[in-house]
Amino acid sequence: MNDETVQRMPQPDPRAPRGRVLDAHLHLLDRQVLDRDGTPVTTVDDVELDGIELGARIEPGSPAPTVAAILTGPQLPMRIFGGHAPARRRVAIPWKLVASVGTTVRLGVGADSLDASWVERWVSGHIIGRIPGGRHDPE
Amino acid sequence: MILSDLLGSDALEADGRRVGAVVDVRLEISGAPAQLLAATVVTGVLVSPRSRFSTWGYERRGETAPVLIARLQRWLHRGMFLVGWDDVELVDEGRVVFRGGYERRDPMLPPSPRT
Repeated sequence: MNDETVQRMPQPDPRAPRGRVLDAHLHLLDRQVLDRDGTPVTTVDDVELDGIELGARIEPGSPAPTVAAILTGPQLPMRIFGGHAPARRRVAIPWKLVASVGTTVRLGVGADSLDASWVERWVSGHIIGRIPGGRHDPE
Repeated sequence: MILSDLLGSDALEADGRRVGAVVDVRLEISGAPAQLLAATVVTGVLVSPRSRFSTWGYERRGETAPVLIARLQRWLHRGMFLVGWDDVELVDEGRVVFRGGYERRDPMLPPSPRT
């Protein structure tokens, strides 16, 4: 490769996207979540981000935060009116189970392996939750 | 931290001057490869000087129809900009502080399949 060829080569933009670009609110929130068979599981009510420490100065060059999980549960009223739902009422679907993001969010696993389907939530709230000790982890 | 804690936060310059509100968080599916989808990293925050609410992203995708909605959205979010995560110095409850000399970047999304 001679000098002239090197000069003609465009310089790569270090900030150019290296993968698919999404805006979290625009492309994720309120999207339907389907399992690997196309069965509706839930909707994306919120997103959990890893690597952001409240009130701590972010050192230059420190790794960027990552998406940890899709959250589902009674998050919509909290987004409108503020506040937080109790953590026990949030169901997290780990981001590593997401297979693709498009008009819907597709998972790579079956709905029956998650606690996020409405059947699981109904049984948890109406049956398991009424059993003494059924609203917390085993001690 | 959950996304809704970040959305609507005040966006402040290093000297404390408010420049708008965080209306969205830009992500990129470009992290460490995983079994299904590569890790998705936060690359920046979108700041709107005039509105705390993001709606349909007209101002980020060059959409022009329906004309009335597109114009309303552009007007509502005029002056919107993207700040890279490298330029974020602090995230606290209800506020995001940028480093001194931070860069305001074009908020347009790169062309991609419509979703």
